Amino acid sequence: MFTRKRLRIISQGLFMILFLFLFVQTESKGDDTLGYPVRLFLDFNPLIFITTALATHGQKIPAAFFLSLILVLITVFLGRVFCGWICPLGTLNNLAGSFNRRRNENRRPDLYRVKYYILFMLLASSLFTLQVAGIMDPISLLIRSFSISIYPLANYGIRGAFDAIYNTDFTGLVAVSEWIYDFLKKSVLSFRQPYFLQAVFIGSIFFAILGLNLIEKRFWCKYLCPLGALLGLLSRYSLLRREVSEGCSSCGICSNVCQGGALSGKGEDWRNSECLACFSCDDICPQNAVAFGFGKKKAASMDLGRRQVVLSLSSGILAVPLIRSTPFAKPDYSEPTLIRPPGALEEKEFLKRCVKCGECMKVCTTNGLQPTLLEAGLEGIWSPRLIPRLGYCEYRCTLCGQVCPSGAIRRLHIEEKTRVKIGLAMIDRGRCLPFAHAMPCIVCEEVCPTPRKAIWLEEVSVKNRDGKEMKLKQPHVDLDLCIGCGICEAKCPVGGRAAIYVTNIGESRSAVNQLLLT
Amino acid sequence: MDRRTFLRSTAIGSLGFFLAQGFDGLTLSADAAEKTDLVVARGAGKSPAAITNAAVEAFGGIRKFVSRGDIVVIKPNMAWDRLPEQAANTNPEVVAALVRLCFEAGAKKVRVFDRSVNDPRRCYKQSGISDAAGSLGAEVVYIDERRFREMSIKGQVLKSWPLYRDVFEADKVINVPIAKHHGLSKLTMAMKNWMGVMGGERGRIHQKIGESLADLGLVIKPTLTVLDAVRILTANGPQGGNLNDVKRMDTVIVGRDEVAIDSYGATLFGMKGSDLSYVKAGAATGIGIMDLEKLKIRKIDI
Repeated sequence: MFTRKRLRIISQGLFMILFLFLFVQTESKGDDTLGYPVRLFLDFNPLIFITTALATHGQKIPAAFFLSLILVLITVFLGRVFCGWICPLGTLNNLAGSFNRRRNENRRPDLYRVKYYILFMLLASSLFTLQVAGIMDPISLLIRSFSISIYPLANYGIRGAFDAIYNTDFTGLVAVSEWIYDFLKKSVLSFRQPYFLQAVFIGSIFFAILGLNLIEKRFWCKYLCPLGALLGLLSRYSLLRREVSEGCSSCGICSNVCQGGALSGKGEDWRNSECLACFSCDDICPQNAVAFGFGKKKAASMDLGRRQVVLSLSSGILAVPLIRSTPFAKPDYSEPTLIRPPGALEEKEFLKRCVKCGECMKVCTTNGLQPTLLEAGLEGIWSPRLIPRLGYCEYRCTLCGQVCPSGAIRRLHIEEKTRVKIGLAMIDRGRCLPFAHAMPCIVCEEVCPTPRKAIWLEEVSVKNRDGKEMKLKQPHVDLDLCIGCGICEAKCPVGGRAAIYVTNIGESRSAVNQLLLT
Repeated sequence: MDRRTFLRSTAIGSLGFFLAQGFDGLTLSADAAEKTDLVVARGAGKSPAAITNAAVEAFGGIRKFVSRGDIVVIKPNMAWDRLPEQAANTNPEVVAALVRLCFEAGAKKVRVFDRSVNDPRRCYKQSGISDAAGSLGAEVVYIDERRFREMSIKGQVLKSWPLYRDVFEADKVINVPIAKHHGLSKLTMAMKNWMGVMGGERGRIHQKIGESLADLGLVIKPTLTVLDAVRILTANGPQGGNLNDVKRMDTVIVGRDEVAIDSYGATLFGMKGSDLSYVKAGAATGIGIMDLEKLKIRKIDI
């Protein structure tokens, strides 16, 4: 019966490889499109689908989300095979759990309910337009953790190692290492080292989740995962049934190997909503008394407790006004540095859809898209904002809108992209060289990408300290033409704080955050 | 330039050639073509490759400059995420023609790179150069930040600067700029193209652009310079984006003296070399000749 275990591991391995492959492909190659369906795992995710549908009250659901119905169907028939056989976070939990040498007794028999309460809170919140499912959805969480923290970490380490060899005098060794490095750069490494704010924070959460496996294997999957809970609900009446024949000696060994915590006591009681279809109990049974088949045998009930369900639903609802009673909910207030990517919906609509997966930040060609902390309120944590000093918005690039799974960032055609304003640039005359220091500099004008440049130069005569008259070109911003891409801020040679900077005033997506009378 | 002024300038130019100093490196034979300082090839309606080939041929042929086994660096301008028709980057067919010529001359390796301003992946791809040169076997490589070396320049402004190692390690270097408008320096052509091998905060050199570019010319001495004026960008440079700013010239200019090339290039825009600070500074430093009258310019129509 080991073939089934091997099959499962192969399946987990293949889906992990697929996940990683798509993840690595979420990067520009210089073309206008990526060529791979990099958000596939999110498209198949029914939790993201349902919460998005609830939060937006069913408006403009991306068609790709209906792919998640396939997973719903699979779950209804076969139970939580996704958790046991497919989910890449589940696989990583499995791997991390292999460092835990203790037997996997279910020492916390009631804790499994927690994930359902989390799910109910998320569902209730999303019905009242608060979409925070992405914070705990395992796929969102995984892509975000990889994008913001794990992949940058891996790149940093690998690059550091090769750079260290490169800087030695051993030419033979360098030749070999550079050859390997070149291969890695062409295959798995990022084009350039990614740097993200909050890499440590998001990475720590991720490692903490993996670390929970040392307390109990698959702790996250059993007790916390809201997607697991949703699939658990869907599998209540699944056709896959576990049967125990009369040969069972009640040794309870199956209970120790159960990955999902579906077995309690001596292993007779089986909660199918918790079963990950790993078949470990079947494989290990010394009496060969366990069998899986299709039928309608009654399984142990899922006792969530009415009070707790009501409580979790109500707290999900209450969370909405609680989280929104901040200035961020005021219609005429906006954090000026909250520069959203081009194609981002109006802020309220944006937040209803953004699932914080971090795909946009991963794919951003300049690494300028960074996760927020509180700049968009707690509700908008880890959503994307452009920090031009770290990376500007590339004029002809539309990748963030292409990878966004939920339509929070619209997919823009290049013609529209080059017209969408994400903010406006303004000049700090106290720092700008031609204004403050009588020195020539035109870098902002040079790099300004609009066909008719939004930055124009005025030739003026100024006097320097010695009273000597000199001709200079001073830059000005044409607010009509400026799209707020921030390349001027990014490339401004005035170190420290740039002498030209973008804020989100004038962003196309907002009706109120406007400056010009048009 | 009408025929009479052309003849006159050719006559004076050939005289000037013998007076010109600092023209070293090549052992020139008495062949008339080899006395030429600049070749200006024009081929209305002809392919950029055909014009390039004719220009190089008229300047003595590629074999005069590239030898068997050479490692050649070709430095186009591909700094911008723009398409070939927008004339912000060197024409990919001009670059490809040079790659082909180098391989025909027996070059072992041809390397193509630029430290772009926009995202390098997009610049390399969208300029068309990555595909055009790469398909011919050239190594179109991204800039590796580790390969910048602090180089002593000892110029008026630039005492030293991190420059790209490959340029100095190559056997032969071919500069392939495009002629286009620029907000500060008015035009950007051959001399300014070398900003693409500068590391660090190169934007700072705009404070003294003329002297800085002339200083660069002290240490970067290309074997050959091929100015792409197939399409020129007349306004909103150096990026452009508006096709109305693009003018079709179907012209390629080949020479060895970058000051001379830029000085001549200015005439394509109705300017003079002396209008450009870096051309003036280059002439003053003695790295090249600004005065077109002193140059032997061979114009060919194909």
